[in-house]
Amino acid sequence: MRAIDSFKELLWPSLFVASMAYLIWNFPKFILTFGWANNAITSTYVPAGALEYLSALIVAVSLVMGVRTVRTTSIEQDSETRWDDISLFMGRVAMMLVMLLVSVMFYEVVLRYVFEKPTLWANELSLWIAGFIFLLAGLYAMQQRSHIRIYLLYDIMPRWAQKLSDTVSVALIWAFTVSMIWGGYNEARAKFLRWETFGTAFDPPIPATMKPTVLLIILLVSIQALVNLIEDWNKAPEHHLPVDEAEIEELKHEIADRAKDPAKGA
Amino acid sequence: MLDIGTISLILLVAMLILLAIGMPLGFASAVLAAGVLLMKFGPDFLFGNFGQGPLNILAQRIYGLLTDYVLISIPLFIFMANLLERSGIAGEMYKSLNVWLSGTRGGIAIVTSIMAVIMAAMSGIIGGEVVLLGLIALPQMLKLGYNQNLAIGTICASGSLGTMIPPSIVLIIYGLITETSIKALFTASFLPGFMLASFFIIYIIITTQLNPEKAPLPEKKPGDPEGREKAALFGSFLLLIASGFSAALFVRALFFTVTGQNAVVEGVEAITFGTPDFVVKFGVALAIFLALIFFVAGRERTATGWSMGKGLVAPIVVIGVVLGSIYGGITGITEAAGMGVIAVGVIAALRGEMSFHLLWDSLKRTLRSTGTIIWVTIGATALAGAYTIAGGPTYIANTIVGAELPTMGIILVMMVIFLFLGAFMDWVGIVLLVMPVFLPIVQRLPVEELGFMGGLDARHVAIWFGVLFTMNMQVSFLSPPFGPAAFYLKSVAPPHITLTDIFRGFLPFIGIQLIALSILLIWPNIVTLFL
Repeated sequence: MRAIDSFKELLWPSLFVASMAYLIWNFPKFILTFGWANNAITSTYVPAGALEYLSALIVAVSLVMGVRTVRTTSIEQDSETRWDDISLFMGRVAMMLVMLLVSVMFYEVVLRYVFEKPTLWANELSLWIAGFIFLLAGLYAMQQRSHIRIYLLYDIMPRWAQKLSDTVSVALIWAFTVSMIWGGYNEARAKFLRWETFGTAFDPPIPATMKPTVLLIILLVSIQALVNLIEDWNKAPEHHLPVDEAEIEELKHEIADRAKDPAKGA
Repeated sequence: MLDIGTISLILLVAMLILLAIGMPLGFASAVLAAGVLLMKFGPDFLFGNFGQGPLNILAQRIYGLLTDYVLISIPLFIFMANLLERSGIAGEMYKSLNVWLSGTRGGIAIVTSIMAVIMAAMSGIIGGEVVLLGLIALPQMLKLGYNQNLAIGTICASGSLGTMIPPSIVLIIYGLITETSIKALFTASFLPGFMLASFFIIYIIITTQLNPEKAPLPEKKPGDPEGREKAALFGSFLLLIASGFSAALFVRALFFTVTGQNAVVEGVEAITFGTPDFVVKFGVALAIFLALIFFVAGRERTATGWSMGKGLVAPIVVIGVVLGSIYGGITGITEAAGMGVIAVGVIAALRGEMSFHLLWDSLKRTLRSTGTIIWVTIGATALAGAYTIAGGPTYIANTIVGAELPTMGIILVMMVIFLFLGAFMDWVGIVLLVMPVFLPIVQRLPVEELGFMGGLDARHVAIWFGVLFTMNMQVSFLSPPFGPAAFYLKSVAPPHITLTDIFRGFLPFIGIQLIALSILLIWPNIVTLFL
């Protein structure tokens, strides 16, 4: 892959992560602007200014551009609809977050053990980033059809029975999503509007952001499940093996390449 | 509404139906969690008011899980394993190990086992390991005319050790949901893991000595070092490694002394190997090793030894970083995993293999595996939360314990259930769905009746059971009809090797695993020896 391609691949996800980070950190200003704020927010924050609106604009632009330009490679399930692109782009964002997570941890360990000056924020920032990674990974895995299922009976069913099973599955996923939102909506809304923080020195707004995000992403995952059902409706049945063949094919090539080109391996 | 006995029964039946129709495991558990609450509280109370009610328990459990610091180690260990698989570290390690052992009867099989153990100590995942060994070692063994069953069994059985030898993802998830110390689980699984690996190697040695035609020796190339000379070369290589370690630790202790970080503070635990007296100790050790290298081994021999063994250096460094961070008290499990990612990344970059393509592909795979594992965990956490509120685990524990069955009889039945489920289901499903029910039962059993020899401390029951579970899962990776190791190997084996051939090759190794499992059952102390 040429450098320019790598740059293109990274541009929108990283722009999205950066502008989203700024936006989330300053989000109480919007809560204030919209007039939903309580006293604690009113006394700490000023209403949203030009920078906040700019970051919101960049979030929107990078989201749209990212979704439009996301491309899959041979080891991934293809994208068939625009909704697939959204899930894939969210996957790219989560990949950026994994790299960010590793960097934060490395920075903290170096600072703590070499310079003996531990940061106040690294552990909680890791926790915060990881929460988003876990949730977005589920969305990506849903688009890639890689959630763990037992195919023992499924594979020997006739196609109509498979379709029926899939429909029941998706209906039940929606039943769960509705239950989750039914039970959790008030708490998530309250914590978000109160901008509830973690209650520590660094005090990141983990409850304020994670509680609504859990519900939001579960909703996105069920939409993706529905999209999968529609996309796969008229496909021929396929036989499922417990291993990913595309992935192994790729590994084989890599090892063969190295064997051919000893300079690369030595 | 319904009593807990009825709820449990409906839950079990519904779970079996949902799994049979191929509903994703995590979502089946999640919707059943809502179902359990519905059966417990009734629709009026549950859906009476939008936005609140007992259903919020599900969201709270999920939030609690997502903000658990230890859970972060899972994507990081997966990321590290993915980078490892794509770097040439494994291939070069194989070459290095092969140099030392190729002259021995059954040498390549032994090399394969040792390599699997080293890879297991670097990461905690199987699959990639079996594929790598299958790509690297299988062609060599078949070319030399090794017995096919022996070759297949060695690769898959040893390749499955990743979840037995720390760091292991199975143990991390087990520790997370049972609230057991993961570090203690790692320590406890060391000995059983190495015991199993050494059983494999002993089996290889015995069977190839009895039937030499199973493992023909390679033709000797003129000029290759042999016998005593090889041992001397290996000795000088070891000296080099030892001096490298002493030098690193010497610099570390010196650094702490110069910066004054290791000044004795009352009540603060001294830094392991970091106090000023260790500067002297490591300095002396380094001087002795260097003297041995220069005056006994000789520079030339050391240089040859180095070129033969240098493939082992990268794995040793990675293991040192990961396990050293955990056991040296430098970091917790999570940060150790992060440091492992950095170590593998740096080594791959030094080897000139790091590229955007490699990094990006590894991240894609990492994300996908993370999504599947974490979302099963999310669903199972919701279900466990709902079922606990309904009083399920207590009810089951009371029923089983109240039945006054023989203690070891209950444990044996559980082992059979694990083995049976393991043949059809992924380990992550078993640990998340079955463990919250089984472990409370085990903890209620009279502790003095566990095992047949030696006694187990009540505090160690959960740890012992966790290690037993990972041993069970070793069998499940190989057991037909769905042992994943078989499918991983099939995908890289020559086409004439069928799945039946592969499973046939597993039989002696499954026997060995069952022997190891019985040892853990008969003598539980083997788990707690290092605790």
